[in-house]
Amino acid sequence: MDQTTMLLALLPIFVIQIGLMIFALVDLIKNPNPNGPKWMWGIIIVVVNIIGPIVYFVVGRRNY
Amino acid sequence: MKQFSILLQKEWRENIRNYKIFWIPCVFILLGITEPVVNYFMPQILEASGGLPEGAVFEFPTPSPDQILMAVMEQFQTIGIVVLILAYMGTIAGERNSGTATLLYVRPLSFLSYFLSKWTMAAAISLISLWLGFLAGYYYTLLFFEELEFSALLQMVGSYSIWILLILTLTLAASAILPNGGLAAAAAFAVYLLVQLADGLLGANWTISPMKLPGYAAAWLTGNPRLSEFVGAIGLALLAIIGLIVLGSWAAWKNKAKTKV
Repeated sequence: MDQTTMLLALLPIFVIQIGLMIFALVDLIKNPNPNGPKWMWGIIIVVVNIIGPIVYFVVGRRNY
Repeated sequence: MKQFSILLQKEWRENIRNYKIFWIPCVFILLGITEPVVNYFMPQILEASGGLPEGAVFEFPTPSPDQILMAVMEQFQTIGIVVLILAYMGTIAGERNSGTATLLYVRPLSFLSYFLSKWTMAAAISLISLWLGFLAGYYYTLLFFEELEFSALLQMVGSYSIWILLILTLTLAASAILPNGGLAAAAAFAVYLLVQLADGLLGANWTISPMKLPGYAAAWLTGNPRLSEFVGAIGLALLAIIGLIVLGSWAAWKNKAKTKV
């Protein structure tokens, strides 16, 4: 397998990661009362790969 | 029936608005892709992270496709189940605490259709996520490793789906019984771990048990599990699911007075 097909094959990982990040950021902006400061969640979502958005959805959304 | 479809529409809207319908599949697909990709690039990863000592000879056995898919299932067994329990721990308890429940409970409401509407939506989202995750893992296994029969994958995913449904129903029932989502998640985890412990201790003699379902699902990849035991385990799991649904609807009805305004 050469370099370009390899990169194409790995592309979905980045797309899903960016998608998760965008969903989490949109939700954070709309959320009037997140569990903790908004700027902190913003940093976590953008900086921590993959896990960041998931942690925000599970802990930060206050859906319980 | 009409009540059920209206409640289902409410659940659908809620799951879109809290983005569960988008992020849970994303998590499962990522888990499914990661396993074959990490296995494929293992030599490069080892080299980049410090490498082996000078002169070390290290033969990498290429993992077989069924091993990769079993590893994907292992990921779902740990991270996947944690994500599902945490995502659905508040389905009923959270509604009681936020006050949404007040708007519902003042109407003549059938608690069975109330519970079933939540169960249907949660089950649909988790099963679709699970299937997408396994499909992604399967595709990358084909791409990077050898071929594996699709029928084996279907049999494995089908049996594993019943197991996930069992865990999900347990979470929803706990959410109906206990006063808040955190407690519900803790209870679901506790039951999950206790049951696994019991299976580890007594499992050798007790072959027809729902706890063996992940093992039987994995067995489809290499051959097939013993059919009588497999069918028995599926039957018991389905009975447990129905029992938990009845218990959950009863508990939701019993606890309706505890809702906060």
